[in-house]
Amino acid sequence: MTSASIPAQVPPPASSASTSVSPLLTRLAEERATGALLRDRGTLFLEDGRIVHAESPATPGLEVLLTVGGGLAPERWREAVDRAGARRQVARFLVDSGSLAGGELEICHLAAIFDAAFFALSPGSGPSRFRRGATHWIGSVRSVPAVAVERETRRRRELLDAVWPYPRLDTSPVVPREAAPGQTVTLRQRSLLRHADGVRTPGQLAWALGRPAFHTMLDVRRLAAAGLVDTPHEPPPTRAPVVLPDWVTRHQPPDVALLRRLRDALEASL
Amino acid sequence: MPGIDECLLEAMALPGARGAALVDWSSGLALGTVGESPVGDHETTAAETAELARAAAEYESFATNPADPADPPASGAAGADAWRAASGPPVEDLIVTTRTGYHVLRFVATGFDSSVFLHLWLDRSEGNLALARLRLRDLAERLVLR
Repeated sequence: MTSASIPAQVPPPASSASTSVSPLLTRLAEERATGALLRDRGTLFLEDGRIVHAESPATPGLEVLLTVGGGLAPERWREAVDRAGARRQVARFLVDSGSLAGGELEICHLAAIFDAAFFALSPGSGPSRFRRGATHWIGSVRSVPAVAVERETRRRRELLDAVWPYPRLDTSPVVPREAAPGQTVTLRQRSLLRHADGVRTPGQLAWALGRPAFHTMLDVRRLAAAGLVDTPHEPPPTRAPVVLPDWVTRHQPPDVALLRRLRDALEASL
Repeated sequence: MPGIDECLLEAMALPGARGAALVDWSSGLALGTVGESPVGDHETTAAETAELARAAAEYESFATNPADPADPPASGAAGADAWRAASGPPVEDLIVTTRTGYHVLRFVATGFDSSVFLHLWLDRSEGNLALARLRLRDLAERLVLR
């Protein structure tokens, strides 16, 4: 799996930025490349130009989604990694050993791909590098076209702001608020609020709940929009001391001649 | 144990089926689609049906048991099944009847915290609603059958 890393060329800020989340990803997809696209906030694994896996330090991976968010025993996960990791078929092993249904694996794996890709492709995720030929030990489950992942990533950014346009909520501790009398708090919201101790951020709540990080961020924005979570206020912009030009501040004697001419003109017109 | 694609293709084999999708109702993402979309774009349909499904899945009036379900149980041998039974969606399906068609939304209970449903769009004159409901129930169960 070792291969030469090609340095990513920093693309010029082109007008295509609105259509392409990552120009390098677009190019790799066109080339039908196989390997790992590494960025600061996550890694996308490609096979023949299609995305087959993604992971990000900002999101709980498959393991957490299946064990914390579900009923898969951690021993079963470790067994699968131990026994099938070397031949890169962990996913297949989980299904074949009866730990997981094929459909469940696909659903969970797709959730993990789109979740990690959202963070990996986020603006400011730094430069990209591509390690050609690299594959992931999870093995093949289901692949998604790169354009679909880019499109969904853009849709998710817009969705967050459409729900409640306060991006600081995504990274601030979640502070629950009392529900208004008669206000409905749904089951999923209650389980999220129960874990919100005023310290955990949406990302940390995602790990505690075993839910995708994007879903948790979205739920927190919805909660804030409903007034069930505090919306952190933007810090007031630090006001730069206003520097007035000299001619404004300097005391100047009035221009007596000008004032006289003004008075004369006014009197003449009245 | 069929995967997502097999499941959707089987749904499309129903009489009058025009389009089918597996959708995540929390985010509005289509995890898989086949056939047509009523608006010509599966993504838009997924986002719209997800809003409907989310309302049904979350509102108290449709919950079978108003008490909170337990948090994911400590993992054990029967952990996944217990978790599925305890936290499965309270609503089984939703049916929307339009002048020209039927939409059946069937929730899928997975062994982990998820929010997915099957959406089947049927032609009103050719579709058989009763049959479609039964088939979707069967497909939703087989999708998570080990």
